[in-house]
Amino acid sequence: MKKLIAAFGLALFITGCNATTPDKPASKQAQYEAALKNAQAAVDKAASVGGEWRDIRWKKSKKKYLPSAIEAAKAGDYDKALKLLDIVQFQAEAGYKQAMAQKNAGPRF
Amino acid sequence: MKKMLTLLLSAGLVATATQAMSSPKEDLAHFRTYFEQRFPGIQLNEFGNGPYALDASKRLQWESMEEFPPYEEYVDKGREIWETPFKNGKSFASCFGKDASKVRPKYPHWDKASSKVVTLEGDINKCLKANGEKPFGWKKGKIAHLGAFLGYEARGQKTNVVVPNDPKALQAYEDGKHFFYAKRGQLNMACADCHVYYAGQRIRGNVLSAALGHTTHFPVYRAKWAKKGKGDGLGTLHRRYGGCNKQVRARPFKAQGKEYRNLEFFHTYMSNGLEINAPGYRE
Ligand code: HEC
Repeated sequence: MKKLIAAFGLALFITGCNATTPDKPASKQAQYEAALKNAQAAVDKAASVGGEWRDIRWKKSKKKYLPSAIEAAKAGDYDKALKLLDIVQFQAEAGYKQAMAQKNAGPRF
Repeated sequence: MKKMLTLLLSAGLVATATQAMSSPKEDLAHFRTYFEQRFPGIQLNEFGNGPYALDASKRLQWESMEEFPPYEEYVDKGREIWETPFKNGKSFASCFGKDASKVRPKYPHWDKASSKVVTLEGDINKCLKANGEKPFGWKKGKIAHLGAFLGYEARGQKTNVVVPNDPKALQAYEDGKHFFYAKRGQLNMACADCHVYYAGQRIRGNVLSAALGHTTHFPVYRAKWAKKGKGDGLGTLHRRYGGCNKQVRARPFKAQGKEYRNLEFFHTYMSNGLEINAPGYRE
């Protein structure tokens, strides 16, 4: 009997959740998926020229923006995920540009 | 007119290209002169003492540490590692030769056969694997203990890295040089920014050491690396490289990967002529 109540409660909880989620998530999710793809490509591009910054995904970084974005999306928080991906995108592009700008770096003396 | 422009342009390009490709010898001369002019009162070998060569109050603290150096027990541990036979009965001497004092000064060097810069740590693990032993970790622990012993035995001998006149070796040297001078990370700073242009200045309680003499005392015992969870204090040069990359918020490269090996090649070459004084003590 107790089990039944629990199961019933769980079902209610799930439908309840569903009920409160507006119909937006599908598009947010799509937005997230596209942003993730772009961000990952930008990170790979930066890494390919040795220009990846510390906090994008390095395992000992305290921020790890990219894995954190993926985690946020898994938890259904697409707004947070998109914000984090924004940072990833910016840092990856900046890291790539930096490496390109430094291509001919050498002593200034 | 067009021809003239192309001519001028290509001449300009050639000029910059040759400038970037100045020979290692010329690089070394300029590098040395820069520091000599910047710190005229400091003798060449003193640069091997890092920030303690540049700052009097730091130097006093350091001198008192050196009276009972905390790295001594690790030199002893390293000696033990050197002398303890492998399971197959051989020992490190079978790879490096019997005279432990002759090992450290050979590194890093260019290996023609593999077209790679070979480091002491790389050869330590190569030796272990060739003898059916498990390789050591790259950044601390046994590899640093053995390095400390080999450095200690070689104290007083001069750094003498050879960059052979071989296009691949020169490319490795150039790559290391580029790594050193290129700004990186979110803070947009190069090794050279801190350790050439700002050497001697204070940054968050630290005095920035000169890159001249940077490699002579590695592996190093750092008080910071003796803190809980960080290890026993000893660490390799590549561990330090990783730390300095992190500081500018760049993703560090793998210890003993190509980037750091080439950097070590250039970086150590810049200290040619300076005495090995490993292991060192640093805060
Ligand atoms: C933001 C400034 C900064 C940058 C950039 C930087 N370092 Fe450092 N580095 C430090 C500080 C601070 C220390 C500790 C004090 C000292 O010895 O200079 C240090 C220490 C070192 C040491 C140890 C010196 C010793 O005497 O034990 C080495 C070697 C070193 N850095 C190499 C590098 C290399 C190679 C790079 C580039 C990959 C680099 N650093 C980039 C700040 C920097």
